[in-house]
Amino acid sequence: MSLDPALWPYLFVILAGFLPTEIWRAAAVVLAHGLDEDSEWLIFVRAVATALVAGVITRIVLVPTGDLVAVPLAIRVGAVAGGFVVFFLARRSMLLGVLAGEAIMIAGAWLSEAR
Amino acid sequence: MNAPAVDRTHWYGRGIKAAFRSVQVGVLFASYVGFGGLIHDVDFPLAAAVLSTALIWALPAQLLLVGAFAAGTAAPVVALAIGLSSVRLLPLVVTILPYLRGRGGRRGLLFLAAHYVAITLWVEGMRHLPTLPAEGRRPFYFGLVTVAHGGAVLSTFVGYALAGTLPHALATGLLFLTPISFLLALTRNARDLVDRLSLAFGLALAPVMALYAGTLDLLWTGLVGGTAAYAAHRLWEKRA
Repeated sequence: MSLDPALWPYLFVILAGFLPTEIWRAAAVVLAHGLDEDSEWLIFVRAVATALVAGVITRIVLVPTGDLVAVPLAIRVGAVAGGFVVFFLARRSMLLGVLAGEAIMIAGAWLSEAR
Repeated sequence: MNAPAVDRTHWYGRGIKAAFRSVQVGVLFASYVGFGGLIHDVDFPLAAAVLSTALIWALPAQLLLVGAFAAGTAAPVVALAIGLSSVRLLPLVVTILPYLRGRGGRRGLLFLAAHYVAITLWVEGMRHLPTLPAEGRRPFYFGLVTVAHGGAVLSTFVGYALAGTLPHALATGLLFLTPISFLLALTRNARDLVDRLSLAFGLALAPVMALYAGTLDLLWTGLVGGTAAYAAHRLWEKRA
């Protein structure tokens, strides 16, 4: 079989990326068939989904990959805590909370680089 | 019965407006700027990266894919890793779909709607859709999708063009956008006890599962944390 090597990245996207993600979305369409928006089942699945997304958050902060690894744990946790506190002080403003967390993170990353 | 076209256009426009005002969508764009920078660094073709945004539409999977491609990992191994980590999409789609079904909805349209579910669209959808009239939900959602998807593609180009020019501390800041914004969005979206508990349990369980539950740790975090939160909610309701 001969395949133009330039096409390989595209095939890779479809075979190794598209198919294994789309299969779950399609399965979900089948599973959700007939479920009512107030159904008790849905409350349970929503709890699972929320806990799962929450898990993504802690994992990125505590067990990071990429450039975040170089930032000390105390700064990563401090940036989350700072953003959270400002979010509540600013009457649940996402924008201000995110900006506060980012300010701590970027300052921390810059300082830990400078040392 | 379908809603009149004028109405659909109105709700589609409302979705577009909501996307432009969403911090979460802004965060998505910034994250795709980071993705654009990464593909430039590892020499992944820009067009294939744009294709991955259209077809995969889940940034963690795309990052994994590009990283693995650059490392020369075999396609079946990558497919398995992405398949396992993408189970998280299933509960997201199951919970948002009842809002998108509409009346007499065509099945094909549902699969298309499901294709665009990822954490960002789920968070924004679950925030707005329950408050909208039934006939406005689907067009509103596709309005959100239009901006989020178009902007993500554009951001990939921007990141590709900017690659290497961003100061290191700023690039680190881009990576931090995801956790901080998801945390605040989930907190804002938490309406009742079961939402708050599942959020708290998920946050607390993840490090334990990361240590002991292997590659499916996120799924276990969701199942165990979600089940515990749901059980607490049932007990609470019985007492009340």
